[in-house]
This record gives sequence, structure tokens and C-alpha cells, in this order.
Amino acid sequence: MKENKKILVIDDDPDFQEAVTSILKSADYEVVTASNPEEGKEKIFSEKPNLILLDIMMDSLFDGFSLCHTIKTSKEFKEFNDTPIIFVSAVKEQTGSRFQFDGDEEGMVGPDDYIDKPVKADKLLVTIEKFINK
Amino acid sequence: MSERKPLVLIIDDEEPIRNACSFIVKGMNCDTALAGDGEQGLKMIKEMKPDISIIDLKLPQMDGFEVLEKSTALFPNMVAIVITGYATVDHAVEAMKRGAFDFIPKPFTPEELRVIIKRGLDRRSLLLERETLRREKKLLEENFITIVSHQLKSPIAAIVQYFEVILTGAAGEISKETLDIITKAKIRAESLLNMVNDWLDLSRMNHQQMGEDIKSVPLGKLLEKQVGFLESLAGKEGISLILEPYTGSDVVQGNETFLDQLFYNLISNAITYNKPHGSVTISLKTEKDGVFVSVSDTGIGIPSEHLPLIFEQFYRVRHKTKKSKGTGLGLSIAKKIVDSHHGRIDVESKEGKGSTFTVFLPKTFHKTT
Repeated sequence: MKENKKILVIDDDPDFQEAVTSILKSADYEVVTASNPEEGKEKIFSEKPNLILLDIMMDSLFDGFSLCHTIKTSKEFKEFNDTPIIFVSAVKEQTGSRFQFDGDEEGMVGPDDYIDKPVKADKLLVTIEKFINK
Repeated sequence: MSERKPLVLIIDDEEPIRNACSFIVKGMNCDTALAGDGEQGLKMIKEMKPDISIIDLKLPQMDGFEVLEKSTALFPNMVAIVITGYATVDHAVEAMKRGAFDFIPKPFTPEELRVIIKRGLDRRSLLLERETLRREKKLLEENFITIVSHQLKSPIAAIVQYFEVILTGAAGEISKETLDIITKAKIRAESLLNMVNDWLDLSRMNHQQMGEDIKSVPLGKLLEKQVGFLESLAGKEGISLILEPYTGSDVVQGNETFLDQLFYNLISNAITYNKPHGSVTISLKTEKDGVFVSVSDTGIGIPSEHLPLIFEQFYRVRHKTKKSKGTGLGLSIAKKIVDSHHGRIDVESKEGKGSTFTVFLPKTFHKTT
């Protein structure tokens, strides 16, 4: 059973948070939410999630991407460097135009996987299970 | 601004003046660096990027004017203050013309220098603030479409997400009738989302210069990637995707993002308008001047009278048998991309048999002037 698995959803859209929470809870995950990168950081420390679903555009352009890089690389988050992060974004995947960064932002560490918004429930659960063993 | 102390570089060939200036400036909670001639001064400006440079106009070899001109060209946000040894107004005016913020005639009192440094520091923080604002504005402009797209798509995505919750039963049991209705509502909301996506793609193409980011793109690899993306969509309809082997160079110059989109649109169309258990065949052929890529489906085909119109915006072939799922923009986007690369796109079709779209992309990208 996956009773102890905890997922942190970081997204500024309260409706999206609510909808995704329902889907995850129906699959018996424990869910905590955060509405911006700062709250996200706090929740990572206080809740120690097993996996993070992360929006890309919240308070500013691509702040989700910076947060991902921070979690994956910084000493501050040493304990969480290996926590799987899945981007969930409405920025289109197929065209490859997903990220337009300045040169100095290249070389950032990306997420473990992407899912397009709106997320399909089955796709979401399958993707999560790739990283969290039941 | 950052926490570090402001850095003031003093370039003067007279050591006593350098040291005196440094002493005064340090008393203002600034760090200092010292250079004895113009060349060294310029080198230090490049390496240390000082907030303020105090430049004596009369220096051996490279004179102060030259240092001033070269450094302000490189660092327009640096505040340059010149020391005019021969208190002539002409020199001061000339220095201001070449980018100096202010001048101080020799000899000067510590208080005079402090006043001018204080004003220089205020100026510097204004310049830095302006620079930050300008950078933010540029970022906003560059990503305007992305931001608008995000704003438009978020509410639709949330609606679809709620439907998804209902449909998966996460919000409780629902009747078959409700399920049918929600399914229909979800399909319409999704097509609205696709429409917004396509429309934004199209406006981005008007907006953005298509000639940007031109590089060598291996088309074979690009097609493989798109086939990978679309395999699950094809699988749902029982359609097989075939990428035929090819020989010769598959490389053309172009904008990879747009070429990705071009073939995504063509291949996804070929899947959408196919027959169940049909196939999509993608082949690549190299010519002297460019590469041909053709995408053939075994689908419903396009009636000949419609063929001249299919690349028009919002034009859709109305089939009696198959309800259209498209937004009517996919092919006009494709045509726009091909045109921007000075290529050609052609279609051959037989109703009931299938269609073949052939794209020719020249090997060299010719920038439109």
C-alpha cells in the first residue's frame, strides 16, 4: 500500500490544486499544497514530500523552473536533491517551445518528468508511480 | 542592490592624489581600487566593473578622454567623473560630451570630492534601477505571447481538470447520463483549449521574427521525435506510424521550434483524419538544394474542390461522415512555417483513399530582408 506516500502540489491556481488533490486522494496519496514558490519551500521542509508536482509559471515567468533547479542542486535542499519533481504546465509540450530562457539561465537542472495541463488522471497516476514505488 | 560596498576606481598618474582620493572615498564607506595610467585603468574597469571611476584627463600614453570613451562604451551604467588638471571649461564640456557624469577641477578640497562622489553614487543607483526595469520590460516583451497564452489557458485547463475529476469518479458516483454529458462538455472545453493553442501559435509567428534562431536541423531526428510524441495518439486509433529509412543528408537550416511544429501538425492531421487501423507513412528524400518530406495517410481524403483552400485560416473540409475535430488552423500554421523557410508545401489527395502532404525545405536558409 502507498499509505505513507506524500505528494506536494505547488501551483498558484486554487482550482487546479483542488482538482488534482481529489484525483490523488482517490488513489490514496496524502496531498499537501502550496500556492507559490516560497510556500513550496516551506512545505518541502515541514512536510518532507515523496514527490513534488510543480507548476512552471506562478508569481513570475518560469519561477517553477528556478525552484526546481534550487531543490535539485542547492545545499539548502540537500536532503531533497533526489526528490522526484514533475512539471505540470499548460505550456505546450510538442513544439519544444516549452522554455525560452536567456543564455545565463541555461544549464539549469530540470524536472524528472513533464505532464501537460489539464492532466489526465490515468497519465498522472502512471507517471507518479514511475517514481514512487507502491 | 547587492550588499557589497560600492567600488570606486581612481585613475591618476600622481600617487599622492590617488592616495588622497582613496582615503576620502574610503571614508564614505566605499571600496577603492587604484590605477596609475590609462591602460591599466581601462583593464581594471573591464575586470572589476567599478560603480564609479574617477579619471584624470591628463595621463601618460592613453589619455583620460580615451579611457573615458572606451569604458563608457563598454559599461554605460558606470558613473565616470573626470579630474580636469587645467581647469578649462572646454575640457570639462568635451569630457561630458564623451560620457562623463561630472567633472572636478584640480585642486579640490576633500569636501568637494565627497559632494561629487555622493552625487555619483545616487546616479549609479538610478542607473542600476533603470537597468533592472529595462531588463524586466524586455523579458515581458519577449515572453508576451507566453504570458497571454498562460492567462487564457489556465481557466480552460481548470475547467477540464474538474471534468476529469468527475469522470474518474474521484468526486463520487455518477449516472451514465451525467457521464455522457460531462464527457461531451470536456471534449468541447478541450477543443477550445486547442483552438487557443493554435491561435497563439499563429500570432506568435506574426509577432516573432521567423528568421531568428536559425541553425542546422537534422530532419530525420526531428521526425523520429515527433513520431515518438504522436505514437500514443496513433495507438488509440489503431493507426501505425511508419518512418521510412532514408539515405543522404537530412540536414536543413531552419528554426527548429517551428519545424517541430510543422511536422507535428502534418503528422497529427494524418492520424486524426485517418481511417481506423490505417497507417501514416513519412518519407524523406534528399535533393541537391534541399530535402523533401512527405506525410501520407490512408484516410478519408480531401475532395478536389477543397484542395486550393485547405491552407487558408479557419478553413475546414466538412465531411458528412466524419465530424471534424480540428481547429482549422493547423495547415495554415504549417504553410506559414514553410513559407518563412522559403520552401513549398503541396498536397495530393484522393477522396476515400488518402492524402499526401509534401514539404520541400531548402538546405540554406535565406533571410527575408
